[in-house]
Amino acid sequence: MRRLLETISGVLGSRALPPLVIGCFLLLYIGIAFATYDTLVVLMEIARTNVVLLVLLALLPLNHLIRLLRETASHLKLRRALHGATVGADPGLFDETVPLSDAASFAGLEARLVAEGYRTRRLPGALAAWRGGGNFPARICWRVATCLLFAGILISLTTRTSTRGAIIEGEQLSAASGGGKVERVVLAESRGAILSKSLAMEVAPPDREARRVFGLYPPSLYRGAFVYPRYLGIGLFVRFAAPDLPGGYEKHCILNIHPAGKEDSALIPGSPYRLLLSLERPEDGSDPYRTGRMNFLFKLFKGKDVLFAGSAPTGGEFVRDGYRISFPDARRLVITDFIRDYGVLLIWTAALLFVIALGLWLPVRVCFPRKEMLFLVEADAALAFSRAEGGRRRHAGAFHDALDLVEARRATTP
Amino acid sequence: MLALKLIPQLLCWVGMVLVLLRGFSGRRPTVVAAACAGFLLGLAGALTLLRFLPGEFSFGLIRDLVGGGFLLAWGVSVAAIYRSTGRVVSATWGERLAQRAPFAGAGTLLAGMVAAAVCACRLPGAEGKPLTYLLLALAGAVLVFAALALERVLPASFKVSLPGLLLLVVALLLFGSSSIIRLDLFSPLTMKVMKFTHDFVHQFFESMLIPDHLFIRPYLWQYIGLLFGKEIGFWGGLVIWFIPALLVLFAIQFERLPQVSQIRQGAARRKVTAAAIRSRRFRLVAPVLAAAVLAGAVYQSRFPSVEYWDPKPVLITASPSGEIFIPKKGVVDLEDGQLHKYLFKQGGREARFFVLMTPSGKLTVDLDACAICKPDGYGQVEGMVLCYYCKTYIPLDTVGKPGGCNPVPIAFTEKEDGVHLDGLTLINTWSNTVQSSARVKEGGK
Repeated sequence: MRRLLETISGVLGSRALPPLVIGCFLLLYIGIAFATYDTLVVLMEIARTNVVLLVLLALLPLNHLIRLLRETASHLKLRRALHGATVGADPGLFDETVPLSDAASFAGLEARLVAEGYRTRRLPGALAAWRGGGNFPARICWRVATCLLFAGILISLTTRTSTRGAIIEGEQLSAASGGGKVERVVLAESRGAILSKSLAMEVAPPDREARRVFGLYPPSLYRGAFVYPRYLGIGLFVRFAAPDLPGGYEKHCILNIHPAGKEDSALIPGSPYRLLLSLERPEDGSDPYRTGRMNFLFKLFKGKDVLFAGSAPTGGEFVRDGYRISFPDARRLVITDFIRDYGVLLIWTAALLFVIALGLWLPVRVCFPRKEMLFLVEADAALAFSRAEGGRRRHAGAFHDALDLVEARRATTP
Repeated sequence: MLALKLIPQLLCWVGMVLVLLRGFSGRRPTVVAAACAGFLLGLAGALTLLRFLPGEFSFGLIRDLVGGGFLLAWGVSVAAIYRSTGRVVSATWGERLAQRAPFAGAGTLLAGMVAAAVCACRLPGAEGKPLTYLLLALAGAVLVFAALALERVLPASFKVSLPGLLLLVVALLLFGSSSIIRLDLFSPLTMKVMKFTHDFVHQFFESMLIPDHLFIRPYLWQYIGLLFGKEIGFWGGLVIWFIPALLVLFAIQFERLPQVSQIRQGAARRKVTAAAIRSRRFRLVAPVLAAAVLAGAVYQSRFPSVEYWDPKPVLITASPSGEIFIPKKGVVDLEDGQLHKYLFKQGGREARFFVLMTPSGKLTVDLDACAICKPDGYGQVEGMVLCYYCKTYIPLDTVGKPGGCNPVPIAFTEKEDGVHLDGLTLINTWSNTVQSSARVKEGGK
């Protein structure tokens, strides 16, 4: 049983596993590319619903978790060996293990290593030497980050739900997104280096919760869902009457007409009429969405024919040839996705940890990589161990010189 | 003339046999026999394919075989770098297998078959002339013996590792096929990379809940927009193209030197280390050569030595009812299988389109633009049309079908006298297509 568990753990924690799993997904991607143009989207869709692929993907965070535990255990073992806290040392922890001849003498070795820049520790029957800082913290950060990244992708792929809704000034939020009245939508210039605009959607929740303001980034969490604004639009109340439609028609339209000049159409149900609407660009270059001074340009279609074009401000009316078009009310709106996806949090954390790992690893690896030696006398046998995280050739030279010294001392000792 | 056309492919074949002979240096008779047999079999197979399954299928199959080789090179190079960076290095089962005669024979046979098939694709229209194929088979066999003679004069210290061998053989196959546009892999690769990057950025923005370009500073969006351009396809394609060679190079370079700590004489230690470094340097030759050959393949793909049929668009007008009519027979013959371009102008707007008869005998009317790229238009060559913007080749059989980098099809009516289409629909489709592709070009999502 124990052997079986060790085998399973060996396979799951193997370094070969991640490239194999990624290779499987790559082959699948290539296969899909032969059949469809939207390869990535199709691959995500297949992976979302296919248990085998999900299990395959789950192997990645598991692999990094197992390797994280193994590396931590190895690191602790190595520390203990260098501190003399254990009897003997595991050769698997080092790059090189060299058996020395009997009665090896370490006399003078410590001074030699110190002269070469190593710090030393004398232990009963052993001498440890090291220099530089270890990359263990960076590796741990990297392992945790990779584990979180793949776990985040897996969670995001399997649990993400998205509900699209319109946040309209003065209207209630839909129940699906948690309810509450939208008090204001404010679009303003931003001084940030990344975002050019700031957006604030102020919502008064239905119960006695405090008033909430939803911004752009990082997205706010509201009742367990991220509030992800997609694009801006106008909620327009249209009143329309035509000679062949004397009763008139009233309609609340959600129009995707921001920025000014962008067109969207409003159908008049049960009639051949259609209005093509856009926001007029003010001469001063201001954004009507921000200022609230909105003048609407429209074209009236009957079937495929354009009857006429005109414009009217909010609250204004346009009358011609028996047609009457007015816009009594216009409100700002934000088309928003309410997304439940906790994998995103893990991916953000992973991104942060990757940056930290790089920040820790680079200076240590470039400027002072860890180099270690351990000379050990056990019963009748003497062993020398060496390990380096960088500058291997130079460290190997120092190690060989140290071994030569040990052997020379033994040769001259009567 | 025919022999001249085949020079790059035959040179690649000599190179392949040479490197196979050196890679399997203990199996020369097997390699020679398998190379001759493979070349012969490959030619026979290609002749059968091209004769009985004409059109895109045969070329697609051979291209996929070359692509499969490239994927294999990728897998082996990743395995090589993983192996060389591990602490414990032992001979893998793959290496043990590679030492056996059947492996050397099978590998050489397969390489010979694909190389011969690539050569056969260089002879379009020769399916009906078996003598040409016979001469080619003879040339292939003679070149195997030429390579054998050449291999004997190579320095003994020039050694080829198994990943290096595979990589160089695949690189030579890619070089041979890059001068045949229907087998070229680099151009489709750049297109796929461009599409993948576009989709990935889009998915990344949505997954990470990053606001749309409306809220992002324009200077920043310009940088993000670089990810949507054709350059990303080219540079990304280059990365994928050269990574196997780089990985094999690094795998050899990062190989751990032999343990010399047990040797107590400094001079002896240095000799062992120096010998290992020297051997490593010689093994670097194969991947370096492979990288050079791959670079040549990219050059041939980017600057193919073919001329495109790209007629100047003919200005055309619509009738008062808005209908455009193009006669089948007139100044141009619409049914001659060539691209015929037209320019239609109306109310300050214009649209460029073409009429083409596909190999299946159907007329198709399409915009001289696709739904993805900047509308640089198309040129026609050897059973394909080429998108000038992203350098993607589209088989004539698929022109008229929407999607990808295919020209956007336009609804039309074919009558006995000619082709009829609606001017307004044409103008609107062009405007929508150009607007959407311009958005992509500018970095829109």
